[in-house]
Amino acid sequence: MSFVLACPHCGPRPVDEFAYSGEVTRRPQSSPTLRELTDYVYFRDNVAGRQREWWQHRQGCGEWFLAERDTRTNEIISVSLPKPGT
Amino acid sequence: MRLPAQPGELIDRAEPLGFRLGEYRLEGFRGDTIGSALFANGRRVFSRSFKYHRPRGLLCCSGHCPNCMMTVDGVPNVRVCVEPLREGAVVTPQNVLGRLDMDFLSVVDKFGGPFTPVGFYYRTMIRPRFMWPVYEKFLRGVAGLGRLDEHAGHSRRYDVEHRRARVLVIGGGQAGRAAALAAATAGPGVVLVDESVRLADVELPGVEVLAPARALGIWEGKLVPVDSGTVLYRYRAERIIVATGTVEQPLVFPGNDLAGVMLPEAARRLIRDFSLRPGQRAIVLAADERAPEIAETLREAGVAVPRVVDLREGARQLEAHGRRGHVRRVVVDGEETKCDLVVVSGGRQPAYSLLSQAGGRVEYDESLKVFVPRDLPAGIEAVGSVTGEGIVRAEGAAAYEGSGKCFVCICEDVTTKDVKRSIEEGFDSIELSKRYTTVTMGPCQGKLCQLPSIHLYAHELHTYEATIGTTTARPPWAPVELGLLAGRHLEPTRRTSLHFRHEELGARMMWAGPWKRPYAYGEHPEDEVRTVHESLGVIDVSTLGKLLVEGPEAAQLLERLYPNRFADLKAGRIRYGVLTSDGGRIMDDGTVARLADDLYYVTTTSTGADAVTAWFEWWNAVWGYDAEIVNVTGALAALNLAGPRSRDALQRLTEDELSADEFRYLDAKHIEVAGVPCLALRIGFVGELGYELHFPSSAAEYLWDRLLADGARPFGLEPQRILRLEKGHVIVGQDTDSESNLLSAGMPWLPKMDKDDFVGKFALEHFAERDERELLVGFTMEDDVVPAEGAQIVVEGQPAGRVTSARRSEQVGAVIGLGWLPRDRADAGTRFEVRVDRRLVGARVHHGAFFDSAGERMRS
Amino acid sequence: MKEIFFPKRMWRSRGELKRRYDVVIVGGGSHGLATAYYLAKEHGAKSVCILEKSYIGSGASGRNTTIVRSNYRTPEGAAFYGESVRLYERLSKELDFNLMFSQRGHLTLAHSDRALVVMQERAEVNKLLGIKSSVVGPREIAALCPELDLSDRPTWPVLGALFHPPGGIIRHDAVVWAFARAADRRGVDIHPYTEVTGFQQSNGRVTVVETNRGRIECGQVVSATAGWSTLVGDLAGVRLPITTHILQAFVTEPLKPFLDVVIVSSQLHVYVSQTDRGEFLIGAEIEPYTTYKGTGTLSFLETSARHSLELFPQLERTKLLRTWTGLCDLSPDYSPILGKTEVDNFHVSTGWGTYGFKAAPIVGVTLAELVATGKTPELIAPFALERFHTDTLVSELAAAAVSH
Repeated sequence: MSFVLACPHCGPRPVDEFAYSGEVTRRPQSSPTLRELTDYVYFRDNVAGRQREWWQHRQGCGEWFLAERDTRTNEIISVSLPKPGT
Repeated sequence: MRLPAQPGELIDRAEPLGFRLGEYRLEGFRGDTIGSALFANGRRVFSRSFKYHRPRGLLCCSGHCPNCMMTVDGVPNVRVCVEPLREGAVVTPQNVLGRLDMDFLSVVDKFGGPFTPVGFYYRTMIRPRFMWPVYEKFLRGVAGLGRLDEHAGHSRRYDVEHRRARVLVIGGGQAGRAAALAAATAGPGVVLVDESVRLADVELPGVEVLAPARALGIWEGKLVPVDSGTVLYRYRAERIIVATGTVEQPLVFPGNDLAGVMLPEAARRLIRDFSLRPGQRAIVLAADERAPEIAETLREAGVAVPRVVDLREGARQLEAHGRRGHVRRVVVDGEETKCDLVVVSGGRQPAYSLLSQAGGRVEYDESLKVFVPRDLPAGIEAVGSVTGEGIVRAEGAAAYEGSGKCFVCICEDVTTKDVKRSIEEGFDSIELSKRYTTVTMGPCQGKLCQLPSIHLYAHELHTYEATIGTTTARPPWAPVELGLLAGRHLEPTRRTSLHFRHEELGARMMWAGPWKRPYAYGEHPEDEVRTVHESLGVIDVSTLGKLLVEGPEAAQLLERLYPNRFADLKAGRIRYGVLTSDGGRIMDDGTVARLADDLYYVTTTSTGADAVTAWFEWWNAVWGYDAEIVNVTGALAALNLAGPRSRDALQRLTEDELSADEFRYLDAKHIEVAGVPCLALRIGFVGELGYELHFPSSAAEYLWDRLLADGARPFGLEPQRILRLEKGHVIVGQDTDSESNLLSAGMPWLPKMDKDDFVGKFALEHFAERDERELLVGFTMEDDVVPAEGAQIVVEGQPAGRVTSARRSEQVGAVIGLGWLPRDRADAGTRFEVRVDRRLVGARVHHGAFFDSAGERMRS
Repeated sequence: MKEIFFPKRMWRSRGELKRRYDVVIVGGGSHGLATAYYLAKEHGAKSVCILEKSYIGSGASGRNTTIVRSNYRTPEGAAFYGESVRLYERLSKELDFNLMFSQRGHLTLAHSDRALVVMQERAEVNKLLGIKSSVVGPREIAALCPELDLSDRPTWPVLGALFHPPGGIIRHDAVVWAFARAADRRGVDIHPYTEVTGFQQSNGRVTVVETNRGRIECGQVVSATAGWSTLVGDLAGVRLPITTHILQAFVTEPLKPFLDVVIVSSQLHVYVSQTDRGEFLIGAEIEPYTTYKGTGTLSFLETSARHSLELFPQLERTKLLRTWTGLCDLSPDYSPILGKTEVDNFHVSTGWGTYGFKAAPIVGVTLAELVATGKTPELIAPFALERFHTDTLVSELAAAAVSH
């Protein structure tokens, strides 16, 4: 990929400045079964289509954020800051 | 030999330049290309072809085809038709056994035909198997083109420049120039790139002209690298206008590769740019409307043109014959014409490659009989003939009948017979056939063979070109030097602020991740080990990752990141911590010191700082604790002062109280050492009384010098490894791998499973319910041999475990190590065998530290 | 040899889809074709078809860097790939097609002592399993590859290497074509340009394979679709621990023989070999992000060029000619996923990352055996999909890695 990605802080920057960190997963709440745990740790949707994923502006401001990208075209549909929930 | 001065000729007749071709000294003019200078000196054969070693001459004179590839000043595969002539250039032919006009390998052409059809190498040389390497050596020797100079390299300085353009126009023909000028009326930021040296002096108001330079491709994000020789301009453009025009297509007929068969542009360039007469007696063959125009150009240059054939009138049989590779006569439908020049025009194919790379669709236009770009993505435009505009339909045959080899692909020596045969054999899609015949896979990248081969496939398969389709266009548009892509030699590496002190002391430096660190300072690392055990050593540990975690909820954050507890850690105290993934695997380790209620100082492994920082920040992006994470690795230097004398030595440099009661094992204190404010951590990775001092990097050399002056002896990484191994301390990433967890790696005491949550807890709950297949344990060797790290532990001849660390320890008086053993062999005292140099050596499992197992020395 | 003078069709032209096949193999790459071939040859299967959405070998089989080797880290991996290399050695003869398997030797360079340790471990595992593999020092490297820059000029000088004599390169397309021809001659129907669009199931079994050319009733299904395996898995309701990434490579213009071995540097993320045609073939690691879009990146070309020149500064003025990308299906432990799934008669060959091509023949042999007998051969038992449910991985990764 060599597109330009818009960091929520810094604006559009070459994608080489960012670190990709995979599709957004759902962490089990408490004491999952082994099956539920391994599903979270190893299995991925890996969709051909719109994917919500983690990015970090590693060589920039360092912000972690979410992007929605179409994995068939690499088109970024939107970026947003995460809404943390402890 | 030259024509009278032509309007706009590129040569400067006042400045002759001397150069050499093999043993011959030749002369050309400034402004010549090597190709034009050779042509001016009567040279017509420039190279020998890839497979058949047929003589080849100038065909496109535009840098597309491989026909003029020669070795220039030791650099192979230079297209001399576009390579500027330099004084003293040394030109040598390549891919030749003998001379250009007498290549012994051309026997392949004369007699090899029946034995070397397309794909012959798949059908032959199979038996006997042991002979294949011999055949292969021969094949490799005959293939290839130029020869690489084994001493070459580091000859040029390349660089890269990042640039922006509002509008980037690629191609400086009429359409491109007009588009650039129009764009310039809307404001600045218009750049025009063109391959031709002619554009270099063109002034376009408001337009920056970059020439001669070549746009290599259009990548995502409208990224266009431009090759200007030794500088790569990396353009990001808001709008790209492609005006790359067309590429003249050859005709496919027997003898179409003879020297003297040229495309119209080649003849035109020889005349117009270099004032050379491309031949004495020419025949013009055109499948498009250009025959009269070409003939006119030739006649103006004094070339006799006895015959002009408009192939649209339906000629069927067409062949060229030559002597020694030079064209001598052409026969069209039985009528023969003597000539030394054949100018062929097979129509013009839009140069759509860049547009296709950018995401445009390519479609066959039935009315123009060429492929045209369609449906361009936003921000990418095309103007001029690249869109198909102004192109007149060419009406030639897919291939003309006649006798002799008839080439579809000049680069790879693929004949019409080869293509027909591949179809007959079942390679009936363009992609399959391309891979089998290698058509379009040569140095012209399909510029001169893609369209003709598709016409041929359509003809042979009795189908439409649109059904056949094209092969995928990928960057680069033209071949590009690796050196230019590489840019400056630059590999980011890290040095500690004591790097030069280590070098001055004669340390042997080694790589540890991105860092360069001292292996040892003398020949004998064990001397440095002894120093630490007996008196006082100091090691530069500035490479440790250092993080500050600060904020009202810093404690909660760390509590959830680490399996063990940090909320109850008292200010001024230190605890060892291991980070695990949510899969329960060990990722990194280090110490965590609580400096205040809301402030922690975290160290990581030397290679882990960046990853751990990112990991912390990511989880906190998920959880949103009120805590900040700051990576201060580079800001602080760190020294570990270790050995029984360390307290006394340090006390002499500080007024702060260091007594065993005041500054206990695992205490963290701010003290001033020789005037330098330090964070001192009392920890014992090497197993002796010791203090890890963290302080501003700027004071590193000063403090180091003071400590050394005070009797501390530096020790390196190797002695440190021996020392920690004596304590059975694990190095994460060496003793553990990507599958290790806290239970298998011998740290079941570390995780606090009663915590609500921590990263890796769920996995540990499941690990606790099963038996680990293998465990990390210590061992002592029965003999005095040191197994390699990575040596295999063998059970019944099969690999059953592995050694991860092993060293000879004077202190223990044995070879000791750490390794992974099957669970049923991991009990203390169990004997097992390690494979060392093809024999099996006994060893016994040892749990805990090998030396001072109660830890009295480091706690003293 | 005879076919030099009397050209013969390699395979029948595409026929009509039959109403039913005993075995439907999805994916006409080296794995699918090899499986079909061994099913027909070893198990006498009479009713086997291959469904390929494009032309045969259009996926990873035709886009890899043609390196074959077996010097893996885990005993499970080394034993498996070791068998694959042994099969490859005999394959030209068996299939009567010269695959141009050039066992010229494979060197994995170490630029740090940590890397040397990992290589030592690999060498030791390999030796125990009878695979030729050893750690060599700079002097031996110089003898094997005098062109390599062994000076201290590079940022990371070469300290040693893992030398694997049987490793080498092979003509990847030839492997595809030879298996296709052999399978076709044994009655396997190859259907190019036939895309699977769905599966119908009953009682936990796939009963019908739907394609863009119609439906097929089936006995068994094998999915060997590399980068697209998640999507085919989804159609069958089989969830996989796979992410799809691109892998890129390029070749230079052809040159006379210069480099006689395969050179790999995992620290520099680059591998270099010279094809029999004289081109330098250079590749890198897979890209970290997931995508199904097969366009390459400029930064790959820049980084790979820079790293290649660290090893071979002589290539400075050599010209890059062609680039390409392929899709890789990466598994969490870098070992393949091979065999049964939770859908009774739906088998997979996936999770190969960048290693798939090296395994083609042994995948064919073992999958064919599994499909024909219903029993998982011992050699591939460790690679079952189930290991990700039970969390018993076979890690080809050496060092601990922060990844999430």
